[in-house]
Amino acid sequence: MFNDDRLDPLDFHERRSADGCVRPHWSSLTDQIESLGVDVMRQRSDSIEQFIRENGVTFHADEKVGAPDRPWKLSAIPFVIGSSEWQTLHDGLTERTLLLAEVLADLLGPQRLIREGVVPGELLWTNPYFYRAYHGLEKSQQKLHITAADVVRASDGQWRVTGDRTRAPSGLGYLLENRVVTSRAMPSLIRSSNTLRLASFFESLQEHLQSLAPSHRENPRVALLTPPSGSYREFEDTYLARYLGITLVQGSDLAVRGGGLNLKTLGGLQPIQVLWRHISDRNCDPLELDSRSQEGVTGLLRCIRRRSVAVVNTIGSGLVETPGLLPYLDAAQQFFFGGPLQLASAKTYWCGDPRHRSYVMDHLDQLIFRGAMAVTSEAPVMVSQLSAADRESFVQRLTAHPEKFIAQEQLRFSQTPVWIDGQVKSQKAALRTFQLLTPDAVHVMPGALARVGNDELELSRSPVCGQMTQDCWVTSESPVDQSTSLLPDSTTVIRLRRGGDELPSRVAEHLYWLGRYAERGEAIARVLRTTLARIAGEEKWDSLVEVRRLVYTLASMGQIEPGFAVDSFVVNLPHVEQTLPASVMDPDQPRGLIRTMESVMHNATAVRDRLSVDAFRILQRASRELTRPVTSTTRSGQSEIGIGEAIERVGILIVDLLALAGVTSESFVRTHAWQFLELGRRLERAEHTCELLITMLCPPTDEGKSICDAVLETTDSRMTYRSRYMNLVRLAPVIDLIVTDETNPRSLRFQLDRVAALMDKLPSVEGPVGLDAIQRIVLDLQYRITTADPMKLSETSADGTLETLKTLLTKLADDLPVLGEAINARYLIHTESKQLLTGTGR
Amino acid sequence: MNGTGGTTAGSAANNGDSAAVTHYRIRHKTEYRYSNNVAVCQNQVRMQPVSTANVACQRSELTITPEPTSKDEHFDYYGNRVVTFSIEAIHQSLTVEADSHVSVLRPTVTANTMSAPWETLLAINDTSVLPPRCAEHRFLSPRITPSQAYADFALPSFSPGRPIVEAALDLTRRVNQQFKYDSTATNVNTTTEEAFRLRAGVCQDFAHVQIACLRSLGLAARYVSGYLRTVPPPGKERLIGADESHAWLDVYAGVELGWLGLDPTNACLVAMDHIPVCVGRDYNDVSPMRGVVLGGGTNTLKVSVDVEPIENPDAAE
Repeated sequence: MFNDDRLDPLDFHERRSADGCVRPHWSSLTDQIESLGVDVMRQRSDSIEQFIRENGVTFHADEKVGAPDRPWKLSAIPFVIGSSEWQTLHDGLTERTLLLAEVLADLLGPQRLIREGVVPGELLWTNPYFYRAYHGLEKSQQKLHITAADVVRASDGQWRVTGDRTRAPSGLGYLLENRVVTSRAMPSLIRSSNTLRLASFFESLQEHLQSLAPSHRENPRVALLTPPSGSYREFEDTYLARYLGITLVQGSDLAVRGGGLNLKTLGGLQPIQVLWRHISDRNCDPLELDSRSQEGVTGLLRCIRRRSVAVVNTIGSGLVETPGLLPYLDAAQQFFFGGPLQLASAKTYWCGDPRHRSYVMDHLDQLIFRGAMAVTSEAPVMVSQLSAADRESFVQRLTAHPEKFIAQEQLRFSQTPVWIDGQVKSQKAALRTFQLLTPDAVHVMPGALARVGNDELELSRSPVCGQMTQDCWVTSESPVDQSTSLLPDSTTVIRLRRGGDELPSRVAEHLYWLGRYAERGEAIARVLRTTLARIAGEEKWDSLVEVRRLVYTLASMGQIEPGFAVDSFVVNLPHVEQTLPASVMDPDQPRGLIRTMESVMHNATAVRDRLSVDAFRILQRASRELTRPVTSTTRSGQSEIGIGEAIERVGILIVDLLALAGVTSESFVRTHAWQFLELGRRLERAEHTCELLITMLCPPTDEGKSICDAVLETTDSRMTYRSRYMNLVRLAPVIDLIVTDETNPRSLRFQLDRVAALMDKLPSVEGPVGLDAIQRIVLDLQYRITTADPMKLSETSADGTLETLKTLLTKLADDLPVLGEAINARYLIHTESKQLLTGTGR
Repeated sequence: MNGTGGTTAGSAANNGDSAAVTHYRIRHKTEYRYSNNVAVCQNQVRMQPVSTANVACQRSELTITPEPTSKDEHFDYYGNRVVTFSIEAIHQSLTVEADSHVSVLRPTVTANTMSAPWETLLAINDTSVLPPRCAEHRFLSPRITPSQAYADFALPSFSPGRPIVEAALDLTRRVNQQFKYDSTATNVNTTTEEAFRLRAGVCQDFAHVQIACLRSLGLAARYVSGYLRTVPPPGKERLIGADESHAWLDVYAGVELGWLGLDPTNACLVAMDHIPVCVGRDYNDVSPMRGVVLGGGTNTLKVSVDVEPIENPDAAE
C-alpha cells in the first residue's frame, strides 16, 4: 500500500529514512494498516467522512465573513511523531513560548529590547497595529496564555517554525474534532500505537481559565468571545465552548456596567470574570481602540485596568506574532536567557532592517515574501513565480516600503503518507502546535493540527488551507494512561445551578425563531402532503373543493405564487399538478419550504452550542434530504420532481421535524432557552391552524365530509377522531377536536394554554401592578377559546358560512401577530443604536 | 483654536511680562445635549494638565454632571492624565468641566539660542540618550503619514548645516504664511493630506502639517494640545469663556535643548502664553473627550474655555 519508495531524495520522508528503512515509530503502524487492507481502509475513510458530516464540521477557506463553507477533510492515516523526536519538539516549543511571553511583557512594558538595540524600534513604531493603549494595560498579570506555532520539518529533518500565533490562535477546535473522529473510526489503531491523549491539555486549559478569575473564584463565569455570526471562527468556537463548558458570547451579548464586564441576559446582567477572546486586539473596545468595530464591548480596557475581568490573551498580545519580529527572536533569547533558540525559526529577514535589505534584494528569487506587520490569510509571494509585470510592481512596492515586508527562506516541507482518493499517497505536511502557559509550566499539546497538500505556498496561508488534514499522533513506547477525562475532579466543590436567567437575549431571539420556523416548515409540509396526496390519487382532482381550498391555503402561506389565492384561481389550476411538486424544492419563494428550512438552519447554527448534538444532526439531515438531487425524470428527460417523490420528500421532512420536536421536548432542560423555543413553536402553530380553519371550514360548502377529512389529516388528528367517532364525520366534533379540545396537542386551545403557561414563567419586567399588554392579549384569547361552545361554532348562517367560528378565528388571527410583536419588543430586541462622540475642543 | 483672527495672541517676545513664571486658572467646560434619552454613556477625558519640565500643575479638578456611576483615572502611554467614566442612568445632557491651576516657567530657548545643525539630530539613534517616548515620534501615526511631498515642502527651511532652532522656526513661519487660517475649510476629521492640499485649516491642521514635514525629514515631532492666553485689545476687558483650546507641536532639538515648542498658527516659539495639557503623536492620542453613548438621537455640543492669568494660585479663590 505504501508506495513511497520512489520519492525525491531531496525530500525528508516522515515514514521512511533515506536508506529506505521504515522509521521505528512508523513500523508497527505500517504493518497494521497493511494488514487492514485497502477495502477496510476505504470503509474507515468513509466512516470518517460520515462522522464529519454528522457533526457538521465545516470551515471557511477564507477569513472573510460570508465566504462559503467547505466540508472538513480528514485523512484516515495520521501524521505520526515518535516519542524521542517529540521530546525535542516539546522542549523547543516550551522554550519558545516562554520567550514570547517575555518579549510581550517587555514590549508592553519597559521595552528594554528596543532600548538595548536587540529589536529595532522602527519595527514597533511603524506598526500601525500597535495601539498605545495596549501598553501597561495589565501591570503584573501574566499576559500570554495560549499560543500556537506553525511548524514544518525541512529537508534536513530539522523542525522549523514559520510563524507564531499569540493573539487567539485558531485550529484548536478542528484539532479536537480530528481526534474525536479518528478515535471513533480507528479505536484499536490509535490505542495500540500508544498515542498520547489530548484530554489533559484541555483539562489544564479549563482549570487555567477558571484560575484567572479575579473574583467569584470558586465558580467563575468564563466566556468565549467569538466574532459575529458567519465568521470563520463559528464552527470551532461553538465546538470549543461546548467541549470546555464555557459560555459562548458575541460582542453584542456583553455590556460593561459599574466597571465590570457582564453578559446581557433575559434575567438581567450576569458578571463575567474571565474572557477568552477570539477577536482582534484592536476590535476589543471601540472606546479606546478601533472605534468602528462592532465585535468587542465598550469599556473592556477599563475593566482590565480595574482588574475586574481577566482577558486571555491580553489585549495587544498580537504584537509578538508580528512576522517582522521573527528575525530577532534568537537575539531576544540570547538577551533574556542566553544561547540561541533550540527550535529555530525559518530564516527570516525584515526588509525594514538596512542590514537585511541588501541580502534580500540580491536573493529575490530564493525567498518568499509576506506582510511584516500582521498575520494575514494571504498566500506568501514567491517572486520567481510572478509574471514580469507583477514582478516589477512587487519590487516597486518593496522598494517604496521595505518595512512592510519580511522575506523568508523557501523550505521543502517533509512528505508523509496520506489516505486520499482511496489509496495511500505522499504529500507535504505542515503542523500547527498549541501551547498553554500557566504560572508554573508550559503545557505543550501532545499532538497538532496537521495539514497536507502538494504546495508549500498554499500550506503557508492559514490554518485551514491545504487539501486535507490529519490527526497528529505523538506515540509513546509504553502504554498510555487512559484515565484522564474531561469530567471535573470529584473533589472540587461546585455550587449547583438551575440554569435560567443567564440566557443571553440574542440566544433567546434565535431560539424563538428556530421554534417558529421549524413549526412553519412542518405546517407547510403537512398542507402540501394532504394536497399532493389528493392530486395524486384522483383523476378529477380539479373538481374537488377541498383541493381548491388547500391550494388557496398554500398560496396564502407563501409556498406557491399568491396568484393561486385569488378567487379566479380556477384558471391556473391545470398548472398545479406541476407547480406543487416543484414548489417543494423552489428556492425562489421567500416564504416557501426551502427558504423556511434555511431560516431554521440559520437560527439553529447561531445557537448551536445550546442545542444537543442530536438535535443539530436531525436538522442537518432534514436539509440534506430536502435538497438532495431529484431522481425522477420527466418524459423529456429533464430531472424534475414528480408528485410521488414530492410526497416522499415532505413525508421525510415531517418525520425529521417531529424528531426535532421530540428531542427538544425530551433533552432540553426547562430553562428560559427552552421556553423561547416552545413559545415560538406554539404561536406559529396557533397562527397556522387559524388560517387553515378560516380557509377550509368557514366558507359555505356541500362537501363538508371531504373537507373535514382534509383538515383532520393536515392537523394530524384523524387517528384521534376515528377512535372517538369512527367514520362518522360531523362538523361539531371536528371543530371541538381542533379548536376547543384542551387535550389535543394540535388544537388551538392547547396552543393558547401553553402560551399562557409559558408567559407566566418568563422573567417579569418591573412595572405597574396589574396585567400588562402581553398578559391581557393572552388571557383574552385563552378566555374566548375556553368559553367557546363547539356546537355553536358549527352553526351556519343563512348563506352557509360558519359565522361564529369565523368571528372567533379572525379575532385570533388578528391578535396573535400583535402578541408576537409584543413579545419581540419586550424580550428580544435589545440592540439600541450606539454612537460615537468625538471631536470636541478642536 | 486660536488663530490670527479675533483676539491677538501674545508671544514670549512681545508680551513684556518679565516674570519667570506665569500662573493661570483654566476652566474648560464641555456640554452635550441630546435630543433623546441616553441610556448609558462611557467616556474618556484628557483635559487635565500634568507637571512637566516647564509646567507645574498646582491642582486640577474634573466635575462631571450627572454624577458618574463609576470613574477611574490612569496615566496613558505618553504620560497624559486620563479619566474614564460611565453614566448608567437615563440622562439628556452631559457636562464635563475641568478647573485647573497651572504655572508656566519662562522657556530658556529663544529664537536666538545657538543650536546644533539639524542633520546631527538624525544621527542620534541611541535610545539611552534620547528622552523616553521620543524615537517613535519620527514615524507614521494614525493621522500623519510622512511622505516626500512634506519633505519637499520643508527642505527650503532646512538648508545644510542650518541650526535646528532657526530651521524649525523658519518652517513654522512658512506654514503660517502659506496656510490660510480658515475654520470652515476643515473639520475635526480632516486628514493631514487634505489640509496640506488645501493649504488651509485651523491649529490642529497646522500642527499636523508641520509635524508631517518634520517627520518626513527624519526628525522627531509630537503633537501638543493645550490653551493659549489671549490678550484683549487695548482698553477692553478680558472676555470670560471666549478662549478656545489650542494645539501646537514639539520638535526634538537635541540633548541640551530637548523638546522645542513651535506654534505654526501664531508663527512663534512656544512661550509662557502656551499652557500644554496633553502630548501624543497626533490629535488621535490627545482628543479631549471621546465617548460611546447608547441612544441619544442627535446631539449639540457647546465648549467654553477660560484662560485667566492670576497673581498666584492661592489668591485665586
